[in-house]
Amino acid sequence: MLHRSPVVIRHLFILDIIIGLGLGTLIYGLILFAGQWHATFNPSYQIELHSGSLPLYALFSAMRGLGAYLVSLVFTVAVGYWAAKSAAAEKVIIPLLDILQSIPVLGFLPGLVLGLVAIFPHSNVGLELAAILMIFTGQVWNMTFAFYSSLKSVPGDLQEAAAVMCLSDSTKLMRIELPFSAVNLVWNSIMSMAGGWFFLTVCEAFTLGNQEYRLPGVGAYMAVAIERGDTRAMLWGVGAMAIIIVTMDLVIWRPALAWVHRFRLEQTLTGGEDQLINFVYNNSLFLRFMRNFFVKLSRRALLKTDSKRLEIKIPVPTFQFAVLSKWLRWPLAVVLLTAVIWGGVGLINSLSVLTFANWGEIVIDTLLTFSRVAAAVMLSTLWALPAGVWLSRKEIRLRIAQPIAQLLASFPAPMLYPLVLGLTFKAHIDFSVGSMVLMLLGVQWYILFNTLAGGLRISREIYDSMTLMGSSQRDLWRYLYIPSVFPALVTGWVTAAGGAWNASIVAEYINYQGSTLETRGLGALISRSASKGDFAMLSACLVVMVIFVVLLNRYFWDRIYRVSQKRFRLDF
Amino acid sequence: MGPALIELKGVTKTFTLESGREFSALSKIDLTLREGEVLALLGPSGSGKSTCLRLMCGLYEATSGDVLARGQKLEAVNRDVAMVFQAFALLPWESVYRNIALALNPLNLNEDDQHERVKRAIDVVGLEGFEEAYPRELSGGMKQRVGLARAMAMQRPILFLDEPFSALDVLTSETLRQEILRIYVSRKTSIRSMLLVTHNIQEAVTMADRILVLGSNPGHIRAEFLNAIPYPRNEEAPNFKELVTRIHSSITESYMPDVPEETVPARPSEAKLRPEILPNVPMIEVVGLVELIHSHEDRVDLFSLSEELGYDFGHTLYLVKAAELLDLVDTPKQRVILTPDGIEFATADINMRKRMMHQALGRLNIVKIATDLLKESGIVRLPVADLTAQIQALLPTENAEHIVASLIGWGRFAEYFGYNDDTKTIYLDVGQEVQQ
Repeated sequence: MLHRSPVVIRHLFILDIIIGLGLGTLIYGLILFAGQWHATFNPSYQIELHSGSLPLYALFSAMRGLGAYLVSLVFTVAVGYWAAKSAAAEKVIIPLLDILQSIPVLGFLPGLVLGLVAIFPHSNVGLELAAILMIFTGQVWNMTFAFYSSLKSVPGDLQEAAAVMCLSDSTKLMRIELPFSAVNLVWNSIMSMAGGWFFLTVCEAFTLGNQEYRLPGVGAYMAVAIERGDTRAMLWGVGAMAIIIVTMDLVIWRPALAWVHRFRLEQTLTGGEDQLINFVYNNSLFLRFMRNFFVKLSRRALLKTDSKRLEIKIPVPTFQFAVLSKWLRWPLAVVLLTAVIWGGVGLINSLSVLTFANWGEIVIDTLLTFSRVAAAVMLSTLWALPAGVWLSRKEIRLRIAQPIAQLLASFPAPMLYPLVLGLTFKAHIDFSVGSMVLMLLGVQWYILFNTLAGGLRISREIYDSMTLMGSSQRDLWRYLYIPSVFPALVTGWVTAAGGAWNASIVAEYINYQGSTLETRGLGALISRSASKGDFAMLSACLVVMVIFVVLLNRYFWDRIYRVSQKRFRLDF
Repeated sequence: MGPALIELKGVTKTFTLESGREFSALSKIDLTLREGEVLALLGPSGSGKSTCLRLMCGLYEATSGDVLARGQKLEAVNRDVAMVFQAFALLPWESVYRNIALALNPLNLNEDDQHERVKRAIDVVGLEGFEEAYPRELSGGMKQRVGLARAMAMQRPILFLDEPFSALDVLTSETLRQEILRIYVSRKTSIRSMLLVTHNIQEAVTMADRILVLGSNPGHIRAEFLNAIPYPRNEEAPNFKELVTRIHSSITESYMPDVPEETVPARPSEAKLRPEILPNVPMIEVVGLVELIHSHEDRVDLFSLSEELGYDFGHTLYLVKAAELLDLVDTPKQRVILTPDGIEFATADINMRKRMMHQALGRLNIVKIATDLLKESGIVRLPVADLTAQIQALLPTENAEHIVASLIGWGRFAEYFGYNDDTKTIYLDVGQEVQQ
């Protein structure tokens, strides 16, 4: 039964119409999307730059992103859980994730596309799956890491409680571990989704050897618009992408955040309440009906299992993951080992055709790209650090700035490249520098975003004490602001540097107004090798890039991070 | 008494809450800090004593009224004031020495002078040997010494103490209190006046020459006490005890008048249902209180109760007031006596207790208002926002959200109301809901 106060009924009608329309669009989109999958194989979809075709493209892109996210979620829970529970698996999975994380999407592209198209030669299924999996590679690693570390940090008392209650592994996962990780997982999903969108232009439109591939979607639309130099279409594409991001934020992430808020361990009175979501949730007849329905359903299920448990007084024997793991251990190890040997031999074989000069070129280009990465991170810090601290000093500024920074950080920067390129050309900036500006475009938001959050750590009382002393702005920055935000800033740097390495692939090599813009750098080398189908060169570049990035993380960022955590701890 | 160093003249301070509502922390305060005195601001949390202090040193700007420093309108921070903070306000990443030296940076002293001053401050508070230590290596008492040394090093005439001992244990705070007094009385430092903010009556009487008692909602000055007992003061001395008792009774009277509050004879329909101002205390503590009084043969003195509970006096008063609202205790003068109901309650089992509480809640006006609202609108679940609005309309000067939060806590404990945090609604018939 529904109990409504009379005040509520006024909004109910409009809200439910909006929700109904949304659901209708979703179902319609799913049907069209399914049709596209089953259509006969068409590797190079004819993209129309007419703005009227954009809604459909946007819907398709959104579906791919969501599909990829679902795969990421399943992968995250399965692999993250496995790594957290099995010490042997942990030793393999965690370094592997570290490596996979530093492989740009182009590294997965040839294998996925050629393989899946070969499996489904007559329909678009293979190509679509390849696109989804490429988006997946932009999302998943980070999420798995986050879930794994959440599982590892389940508090001891909860673990002990589970042990005392003799919970089976599956009940423990559902009742303790998943709820505990929920907040972290949702926040990470938001960031990972942004990571997935970053290469949308590449995932939906790419060249492999002699074959051009295009899928109907916003990414391909943008790629075509950029190639033809159609500024009007580019702006339309940017708008469509922005709408996808904002809609997902409203329809998926904000409700998800409001929902997981209940799983927080610390009991705070305020914060986490989302007025808009509460309003919609409490005032929509449809959502209330669904809620009541599910609550009753779960209650009934709960009562059933609980009473059963009371009767027999023995924990119901449910699925134990340890058993599965024991059975799977050896076969899996054999499969993995074979794959590693086979892949290693293949890799060495393909790399053996490269000359000494080739390797020299790769190393020099790596250093060139490295200098761009460093410059982009430093320049971003120059403006984003002061801005972030300034914004976080007043609650009102923070409340306006934070969602904007979050949306800007979620927007795939490569879609903005051509618009910014026009400006750099007008300012007569050489493309070797211009490509650094493009890298900066995407990564600066990570630094702003993190310093914003770090700014909240600035102690009000210490600030008051320094104001009373009459401390100068210089002293405030040197002794209070920068040390307070430093750990967050380091996190921002690591994310930004990682993003910049990835971005180099699209920032150093662009199909722009019918010609190819290119400057020397590892990113350009990777892009060129992929589009020429020079797989030996491509693998060599990827190997160098992975080694370089992993070493940088291990021996540079990791150290700085640990030092900053130790030195700039806030607890006394 | 010397000239006025800081004056508040008709000062009001309002804050805008996150919900957008205006919250008035202080209303029309008149206050003077003179040279050569130790002034204490005494009051429960929420009486705006810290706000008062921050207005006087220029960290806050007054919403209306004037803040004067040495007769001049205070435009920026007050350069006469050094402050010791509740949570120490030390930079965790700098050493003790650097933390103190930082306060001297704005003075542009030459290196030797700066070193000299830091050394002297360290010497005065007894921190020798800890110069290179980081705050996290120090105990709470030692950290507060660093805060004190920093304030001394600034060589300003006024020292503000913002609940400086509340984060410390009893022994440490007693030592530190005596040390601050010794430093102040010795006149070897620059400090000529002190302003102490506290909720501890003993502390105020130990340290201050003049004590202002603040009341809440919104903060205002309720009473002034002069204290001419010479330093060092002995807590056991009769005149010390007498002053403590006088301050106690002044606070008690204003919270729990023996004469019932005058009900405004307004329109009869309005006058009959004035919601009670429920103190914000958990019911389980009220149960504990009743048991404690029962173990003292059903009657105790309010001060000894406060001491035995280890709560500050304000919180003890709230607890007693809650028990009084439920007809469990009576409070003639400074005594707390169990009523017949209270005695029965103390000896009853859990189910009986719930039943008694259920009945007691049913007698409260605020509960009647809530049930009437439910009946009138013919709904089963009452949005908390509607109830809050209703209470706010009846008690415009009170914080209705706090009162309703207390009501929900009490109602849940006595199984009178149920409350669902997802829908933010309350409902009657608790048992029925559980079965659904």
